Amino acid sequence: MSDFFNANLVLVQSTLTGLLLALSIQVPLRMGVFSFAGAGSYGIGAYATGILVLRYEMDALPAIALTALGTAVIGLLLGALISRLGGLYLAMATVAFDLIISVIAINGGELTGASTGLFGIITDFTTGQMFVLTVAVLALVAMSEVGRLGRRVDTVRDDPELAASMGINVRRYRLAAFVVSGALGGLAGGMNVLVRSTVGPLDIGFGLIVLALTMIIVGGSRSWKGALIGAVIFTWLPDLLTVIGEWQELVYGVIVAVAAIFLPRGIYGVLQDGTRWVQRVRRDRRAAARGGPVVDADGGLRPQEDEAAVLVAQAAEQPVRELDQLSGRTQGAP
Amino acid sequence: MSTPVVQTDDAGTAGTAPVLELRDVAVHFGGVKAVDGISLQLEPGRIYGIIGPNGSGKSTLIAGITRLTGLTRGELLLDGQPVHDVAPSRLAGRGVARTFQTVRLLADLTVRANVQIGADARADGGRSRRGPTGWLRPGATSPAVADAIARTRLEGFEDHYPAELSYGTQRRVEIARAIAMGPRLLLLDEPTAGMNQTERAEISALMRSMRTGGLCQLLVEHDVQMMIDTCDYVFAMNSGRLIAQGAPAEVVRDPAVQEAYLGRKWREHADGD
Repeated sequence: MSDFFNANLVLVQSTLTGLLLALSIQVPLRMGVFSFAGAGSYGIGAYATGILVLRYEMDALPAIALTALGTAVIGLLLGALISRLGGLYLAMATVAFDLIISVIAINGGELTGASTGLFGIITDFTTGQMFVLTVAVLALVAMSEVGRLGRRVDTVRDDPELAASMGINVRRYRLAAFVVSGALGGLAGGMNVLVRSTVGPLDIGFGLIVLALTMIIVGGSRSWKGALIGAVIFTWLPDLLTVIGEWQELVYGVIVAVAAIFLPRGIYGVLQDGTRWVQRVRRDRRAAARGGPVVDADGGLRPQEDEAAVLVAQAAEQPVRELDQLSGRTQGAP
Repeated sequence: MSTPVVQTDDAGTAGTAPVLELRDVAVHFGGVKAVDGISLQLEPGRIYGIIGPNGSGKSTLIAGITRLTGLTRGELLLDGQPVHDVAPSRLAGRGVARTFQTVRLLADLTVRANVQIGADARADGGRSRRGPTGWLRPGATSPAVADAIARTRLEGFEDHYPAELSYGTQRRVEIARAIAMGPRLLLLDEPTAGMNQTERAEISALMRSMRTGGLCQLLVEHDVQMMIDTCDYVFAMNSGRLIAQGAPAEVVRDPAVQEAYLGRKWREHADGD
């Protein structure tokens, strides 16, 4: 185990940073915020941590903490500026934010190391510390998926108007999405630069959006478990595919395309559907044994069958009832 | 069939402090006057109805009351306090709950969790029975949710997902979610659409049973018989304005209401008979 760990140390570290990067985009998506700003925060986090360590000789953990706090504040400011946008417009605005970070990195002169970036960022930051930080963050994200907060996040995503009617301040949740995304992205970038000891313009930018989205789409977009599955697959898969040489890009692309087409809720969505199916079978068996309702109170019709019947019945019945009642006639009377 | 309590006061008041008061409320969309100068008062413990043909402004009025649609002019007073500038999310905390014209349940949540969303809006989150840590035990049903589920006859469906339920049952879950909020004012936008006659009678009975707790209810419905059976007082709307109000049976017989639903020619023909 120890040999395997040491032999694949870089992949293990990449899995952890990849997971946090994926979460920085998944968390806002889970709140219905189509934002890719997490990738920009990753870039800010990588450079800011590098600068704090190199230029200000700060220790690793304070540098990471300060960076995550800073990217959270930047997320808040960005959110205040663009959170009223929706859909593709919001997505484009956040992509622009990511590109601006890349441009600043290239044109930052001595501060950012320009096109060569920063190197020699040596600290005592260990993979163990990285693991503990990731697990702690993962626990916090997992807590946002259950209980009252989880239900509220689901409501804000699925139906903002309903959420407002249920006493949920939708704007506050959308802003929180930007803040959390900023903190997660900054943390991922900061940790990555500390274990790599270098960062350059090619390490940040649009490619991070593609990588994070791929992890989320294939792994599953509704839970941290999906992000974890995606992070593991797309960190280790390219390494495994090296055996097929030049075909690896093609196979990689086919896997992503197949997952996007046939697994719209990702691998975790399939596992979730399977679990629900088992629960449903068990529940119906228990209900049947008790003599309770197995499916539904009004005849066991499923919505697909029932809805059309109801609409047809309504269309036929309602005007007759309304007209008859208003005119004082009884149904069936001439 | 119960006899409705008829409110004879033309202004819709009977001396009790109104839960909700509308003063000259208007909602215009460009040149379209969806709601145009509605004034009314709703008292606690009463069931009010709004009838009117399609496009008369009933649902827009509900959207205006719940602040999901901005008012062009007018005032909204909840317990005498102006709320026309209050964010829609703050109205829930002040005891306003609603259902929508179409089913709006969260597909990935069970019936219990969907209803719990309503209870979450209460100050105590509906968790008056808590675990040792002060939080609702995982998988437990809070009293507010259990009560709402029992009232809407959803026992046995707690662990079902919306897609497993018929349309009528889904609507009952929506009503349960609104009840779980513990409201003082409940706005129901066509709650029995898609239900059969038995289910409609049950919803009517449920609404009448909730009146005893002082809950004020405003019902938008097309089913005139349901209105007569359920409501104490009915407002009739057409083209964004109130055209009649009073006891349900009287409003239904009002010539202006019949003309709004059936047209002038029909009215002249009926008078000729």
